[in-house]
Amino acid sequence: MERVVQVDSIVTRFGAQVVHDGVSFAVGRGEVVALIGGSGSGKSVLLKEIIGLVQPTAGRVELLGTEVWRAGAQELNALRRRFGVLFQDGALFSSLTAAENVAVPFRENTALPLDLIAPLVGFKLALVGLPPEAGAKSPAQLSGGMRKRVALARALALEPEILFLDEPTSGLDPVGAREFDRLVRVLADSLGLTVLIVTHDVDMLLSLADRAIALAAGRVIADGPVSAVRNTDDPWLRDYFAARA
Amino acid sequence: MGDASAAAARSATPWIERKVEDDANVLYLKGAWRLPNLVAIAGALRALPLQAGKRFVVDGAGLEALDTAAGFILLRHLADIGCTQSMVSARGLEPRHGRLLALVHERMSTPPAGGRPARLGLVQGVGAAALGLGRLLKSHNAFVGAVALEILGLARRPRLFRPREAASQFEAVCLDALPIVALVNFLIGVVIAYVLGVQAQRYGANLFVADGIGLAVCRELSPILASVLVAGRSGAAFTAQLGTMKVEEEIDAISTLGLSPLQVLVIPRLAALVIALPLLVFVGDVAGIAGGMVVGAWQLDIAPQVFIDRVHGVLEMRHFAVGLAKAPVFAAFIAVIACRMGLAVARDARSVGENTTSTVVQCIVWVIVLDAAFAVLFQHMEI
Repeated sequence: MERVVQVDSIVTRFGAQVVHDGVSFAVGRGEVVALIGGSGSGKSVLLKEIIGLVQPTAGRVELLGTEVWRAGAQELNALRRRFGVLFQDGALFSSLTAAENVAVPFRENTALPLDLIAPLVGFKLALVGLPPEAGAKSPAQLSGGMRKRVALARALALEPEILFLDEPTSGLDPVGAREFDRLVRVLADSLGLTVLIVTHDVDMLLSLADRAIALAAGRVIADGPVSAVRNTDDPWLRDYFAARA
Repeated sequence: MGDASAAAARSATPWIERKVEDDANVLYLKGAWRLPNLVAIAGALRALPLQAGKRFVVDGAGLEALDTAAGFILLRHLADIGCTQSMVSARGLEPRHGRLLALVHERMSTPPAGGRPARLGLVQGVGAAALGLGRLLKSHNAFVGAVALEILGLARRPRLFRPREAASQFEAVCLDALPIVALVNFLIGVVIAYVLGVQAQRYGANLFVADGIGLAVCRELSPILASVLVAGRSGAAFTAQLGTMKVEEEIDAISTLGLSPLQVLVIPRLAALVIALPLLVFVGDVAGIAGGMVVGAWQLDIAPQVFIDRVHGVLEMRHFAVGLAKAPVFAAFIAVIACRMGLAVARDARSVGENTTSTVVQCIVWVIVLDAAFAVLFQHMEI
């Protein structure tokens, strides 16, 4: 299987604090992988290092065959058009409406005419299950779940090959969270997306992911199919899965 | 396959090609149907002479790639010419392309989202702005009432007052602003004395510059300049602080702890500013006269001792008092507007910026309007 995400011996230190002490894993095309770990285990930092926002102290990250921390600015921007990121609280631009938020990647990165962008934006919003009237609202007028959907539509705008999700279900009620899982699963299956999810939501892991990678104490303590990781004899992982009654 | 390539050579568009087979329109899709090629694909679709009425078969055997944007454009075009689902079938699609088209079809049935509402015309725009201004003034009014009630409550229970908060605000509003207020007033004193001096010298009336500086700085310039600086510095800071607290729901937290946000946040700021601004005006008076004195010594042959004696002799106490008396009123307006705009922030980052801008504009306008009103009032009262 083609490896679209490859992380090799990442070391991250902030001053004396060691966040990652040699983290390595790979994600193949079409896989839905969850990165799990307790609060403060460095999941979100690792995600930022993979997408080129925070530089690791040592180690290498390769995305779609490009080494992220060796790439020039242009190469990195070209690479960034091939993946989408859903940030924790959506990170929608508050001065734009939902529809305008989704239109941003089209307007900035494609030469599409406006009369083609408008229906595409409408379709992207419908694709993530938003009602038509949501497009004209500003992010402040939308509920948390709807904001996440708009952010997902924006992340999917340029037809990415990889989708990164940072705590996609945090702040959603259980019903909304499971709906979001189903949406991501349908999109991943139909669009052939590779999905890397950073989460501590056990239910999301069980219902959505093919594979789990567990981080603890700066290292990968388990990596494999969800069922296998579930049966690992690690005290933290036992508690983690047991926490779901 | 030979047939198809010959047809491709005949056709001007490589993306899609139509053939009639067994009384059905067969659409052969070719190439990479992906976002970067979308303009060409949409053009090819439009150029295709298609009519509803016949069955359509989409043949995807020649497809190299398909993404949702291109799938959407294809299905939307078919829907636009009046095809219903029963009239379209597919063949030769790779399973993943079939799944993708099925998803696009399922989701696109909701009509596309509308944009933002149309822009208002000139007359409507003026009307909407006027109504908005009316609402703003009305809500300011209500806020002033609420603050006044809190102050009355304070008179009954003085222990509610927060001296520490007021003192820390006083430091930020007054002490930290001293250098800039002194500098600006000094420079304005220099400018006025210079301009006045050039005229006065022609008539040999050099010494009258001291009269003019004393009067202009103490009565008008120092109160106005100090207020404008405070509006820009502290007014903006109040709105941004309270606005950010509103966004972070800190204001709600204060309320649920059984405290009054007005008592905790607004009254200390109001008190600090009402005390601070007269002091700043006094510093501005001194700095402005000092600026005039420097120009007098340099340019107009008025020794500093003479300049001070002259100011002392001609500047009546009432001019100085009028300047100081205006300051607390300006301060109250600035504090109330700034706090009110901060508490009126909506739940997003843009709103904090908008309200901060609005605070500074409103405060400066109000300071000028009040100053004009005071000028007329004092004229009538012959002060």
